[in-house]
Amino acid sequence: MKKRGPIPLAVALALAAAGLAACGGGGNGGGSGGDAGGAASSASQPSDSAAGGQADGKAKDPVTLTFLIANTEDTAPYTKIFDAYEKKTGNKVELQSLPGGDYDNLIMTRFSTGDLPDLFLMQPGTKQYVKLRAQETLHEWSGESGVWDNMVDTIKQAQVQDGKIYGVPYGSTGAYGIFYNKDVFAKAGVQPPRNYQDLLDIAHKIKDAGVTPFYEGVKDGWPTQIFYFTGWVSDVDPAIGADGVEKLNANQLKLTDIPQLKDLFEKQKKLKDDGLMQKNVLAGTYDELQNEMGEGKVAMAFMLDGIISQLEKKFGKDFVRASLGFFPFPSDTDSGTAMITPPTQLMVPEKAKHRDAAIDLVKFMLQPDNVNSYYADHPGIPIFKGATSTLYPAQEDIKKYIDEGKSQINIQNRLTASFVNFDKTLQNFFIDGDTDKAIQDFSDNYQKDGKAKLLPGF
Amino acid sequence: MDSRKYPLYFSFPALLVFLLFFIAPTLVGVYYSFTDWNVHAQSVHWIGLDNYAALFREPRLEKALTNTLVFAASVTVLQNVIGIALALVLNEKLKLRNVLRLVFFMPYVIAPVVIGYVFRAIYHPDHGIVNRALRELGLGALAQDWLNDPKWALFSVIATDLWRVSGFAMVVYLAGLQFIPKDLTECAAIDGASYWSRFRRIVFPLLAPSFTVNVLLSLIGSMKVFEMVMVLTNGGPGYTTDVFYTYIRSTFSMGQMGYSTAINLVLFVLVTAVGVPVLMLMKKREVDL
Repeated sequence: MKKRGPIPLAVALALAAAGLAACGGGGNGGGSGGDAGGAASSASQPSDSAAGGQADGKAKDPVTLTFLIANTEDTAPYTKIFDAYEKKTGNKVELQSLPGGDYDNLIMTRFSTGDLPDLFLMQPGTKQYVKLRAQETLHEWSGESGVWDNMVDTIKQAQVQDGKIYGVPYGSTGAYGIFYNKDVFAKAGVQPPRNYQDLLDIAHKIKDAGVTPFYEGVKDGWPTQIFYFTGWVSDVDPAIGADGVEKLNANQLKLTDIPQLKDLFEKQKKLKDDGLMQKNVLAGTYDELQNEMGEGKVAMAFMLDGIISQLEKKFGKDFVRASLGFFPFPSDTDSGTAMITPPTQLMVPEKAKHRDAAIDLVKFMLQPDNVNSYYADHPGIPIFKGATSTLYPAQEDIKKYIDEGKSQINIQNRLTASFVNFDKTLQNFFIDGDTDKAIQDFSDNYQKDGKAKLLPGF
Repeated sequence: MDSRKYPLYFSFPALLVFLLFFIAPTLVGVYYSFTDWNVHAQSVHWIGLDNYAALFREPRLEKALTNTLVFAASVTVLQNVIGIALALVLNEKLKLRNVLRLVFFMPYVIAPVVIGYVFRAIYHPDHGIVNRALRELGLGALAQDWLNDPKWALFSVIATDLWRVSGFAMVVYLAGLQFIPKDLTECAAIDGASYWSRFRRIVFPLLAPSFTVNVLLSLIGSMKVFEMVMVLTNGGPGYTTDVFYTYIRSTFSMGQMGYSTAINLVLFVLVTAVGVPVLMLMKKREVDL
């Protein structure tokens, strides 16, 4: 046998370099888009011949529009409207459903690489303008005719930043709060709470009746955040006021310096420590929450109103109508404030291939018949004057709070920086129960996002 | 044997592809790691070592580094131990030898994402087959929340990846075993050498080239683990199974491209620092017949 010589160093380095190049795939995926605006400018200019319709409303040269939507959204109402649009104009709409968890990231990547959709649905709020550098990339709608005629004015005003509007609200007013199974409440002989202590008493009675009081989707991460967003409007907002929110926006107030926020962490910890959540809490998922709640094994969940359509799919309209209720996160002194979210918004990239046709489509979607068609498939609290929507009792409960003026917009929609990695912070919190560490991590990540977004004051 | 060599320009097309798709992106990546490249910024600026300074102050890096190294070391060692053992058994004359070879190799051709989703169901604390089997066997006390208990989560990811990749190591070792002349082991057996002695003195040294390939591929591959962690735990619960790539993904999602690239470069240095010496060391001990 003879010894083999050492492998040339060049080969070894090449192997390692190949490793890095493969690693770099993710990082360089958006590489061509180091300057998103610059990359976007390489996209084709508006060359829409389809917008100019003929006398019968059909486009001379029909085009196919690309519409992006998160897969957490119900696409059925849109499909029906797009079919009607195709019948009227000849233009088709290709609906691309992207993963909800990565939706923002995927949209930003597509902007960075110049792979622009014609139209897309985005989370609410003017903070999305910052994320997408709207003034350079998106169509501005404030002076557009046929868009704002029927929109509720407060909804329109929430879209305005520096006199400009880059997204057209579409859908319904959403809400976060505590959704509960009325049958379980009846079985335990309890009513919606009058204050937070009352909520704890109710939870203990439900536990005594053999039902899990609360379910938290810790494995999925995001459901655990809802406790804080719903709790914020009832506990934190009254303490810090609009001025405090402004200070948070300008980074003049630290999250760690808000005692009521720390109290929310303590409250969630107590629910877990008192055994008021499901067993195997770290394995909790949104999907299982729906099953357990629908089957009456769980009484309550801090959740967004998207659960209504999910429960309707799994357990039918009758269940949602008869057995699903809603109440806000109760404060220490009263029944609390309902947390509402503005509707999602439609956005059109200024350099979209079929920009003019996309603008026409938005106007078509806003026509009263199509708005009503949307609400028929996806009942919700309307944002358009004169629109009709048959609400479920849980939605009526939400509307009641809005009508009484006991509602507040989600803090996430009022801040420009985001609570990034909050789901991770809360998973760690569920593991170690360290309140100080959790709130510090929460605050640090908020600061990091402010810095990453280059916001003034951060 | 013909001693004429092929002309150098034969390699140019391959070198061009390598240069364009591997070397150039790597160099561009190195440059961007020293910039403030950010999707929210209008321009990119050179910021020197700022990204690295911020990175080394980040406690999450330590967790990602530790987990990556633990994952890589565990998978590399165990994949090779299991791979050699399977190869030795399936190199014997067994009735179902070919079927078993196929069965053990099959997980390797399934996408890691698919495997991840299947194992999420298998590891479920209430309905998963692992805990149900343990309870049926009266071993309910051993049932765990495999993916969500911080004590077990990384172990479960490692076990799943081993299930996926061990068949590949087995195939490489089986190929190596075919090149070992039977006379060597037979002579040794006649001279009274035990099975273990034959393996240690003859088979294993002659398997060294396969060992080198397997260890190196396994080491580099497992240091770049992503899909399996992403699907099974998403780096959680919390950051307990965070590895380099889940960390990179998280910063990438925040639009911090320059910073993400800096983390990537640290991983590159790490892979090189571990991979190259291991390769040198193992090539030295390779022998030819």
